[in-house]
Amino acid sequence: MAVPSRSTKERLLSVLDDLEVLSRELIEILALSRSQKLPQPGEDTQILELLVQRDGEFQELMKVAQKQGKVHQEMQLLEKEVEKRDSDIQQLQKQLKEAEHTLATAVYQAKEKLKSIEKARKGSISSEEIIKYAHRISASNAVCAPLNWVPGDPRRPYPTDLEMRSGMLGHMSNLASNGVNGHLPGDALAAGRLPDVLTPQYPWQSSDVSMGILPPHHGNDFALEPPGHNKENEDDVEAMSTDSSSSSSDSD
Amino acid sequence: MAAVPVQQDPEDDDYSLLPLVHDIIKCMDKDSQDVHQEINKLKARIQEAREQISTMPGIDKSPEEQQQQLQTLREQVRTKSLLLQKYKSLCVFDIPKA
Repeated sequence: MAVPSRSTKERLLSVLDDLEVLSRELIEILALSRSQKLPQPGEDTQILELLVQRDGEFQELMKVAQKQGKVHQEMQLLEKEVEKRDSDIQQLQKQLKEAEHTLATAVYQAKEKLKSIEKARKGSISSEEIIKYAHRISASNAVCAPLNWVPGDPRRPYPTDLEMRSGMLGHMSNLASNGVNGHLPGDALAAGRLPDVLTPQYPWQSSDVSMGILPPHHGNDFALEPPGHNKENEDDVEAMSTDSSSSSSDSD
Repeated sequence: MAAVPVQQDPEDDDYSLLPLVHDIIKCMDKDSQDVHQEINKLKARIQEAREQISTMPGIDKSPEEQQQQLQTLREQVRTKSLLLQKYKSLCVFDIPKA
């Protein structure tokens, strides 16, 4: 069984204690022999030899202790080096963690983008259809005024009062109010229901538009040409603008 | 009484207690009144040595244990230096040439 070696400090203190005890004993024996004037048979010599031996050990141990002190200084420097490298390794670890997080985010976003691309590819629409649709929603002049529009033109990009009243909702409300109020046919204009002759025919309306349907309504085979300038319709518009109770014409 | 062989080594004078013991014995031989003074000097010197020993660094271990610890520290420094050098010069990604 290996005996744990004693530390240098323990050995030094032990030898110092021995030196103290031996020197005390030597002094006591010398004092006793002097006072009693009786020679001690070799005892003082033995103590003296032990004292010299212990003193030598003490000196050797102190030399060892000095060397250990220098080694201790070197170990402290090495410990500082180890700490510095530990700090560098921790810094690298932190940077690696940040890089991993950044890359993981980038990969996730790229995957999401790929999914969107695949989804778009599956639901792709031809450019012709998109252009046709754009024409369709633009033909009612809702996104751009007609080429012949001038200030004073009652036409608006939204249904006006006249158009609403000439539509299905207007007819439905007129039917209900005629039953209650008993309007005469001559008051049809006041009631908001226009006779067929006076129904405005705006250039942007196609031939498929019926009376009861709110403009604009186009079928699948719509005309791709933009609505053209119609003098007859313009006259109707001028006539209507003088009789219209709509305040929208004054808005310009 | 046998003479005390005292080596006059300048390095050993710092730690040796024999000169002080020799002085005490000389005073006793002369029946001098300085015996007590010399004895007090020896006691003070022993106490000084104890205090010096308690403050000396690096003697909490035996020399063998200390050497072992020193070797361990050197190995740690060497290994960590190699690792750092390896990871700092490592290029994981093959950068394509333009």
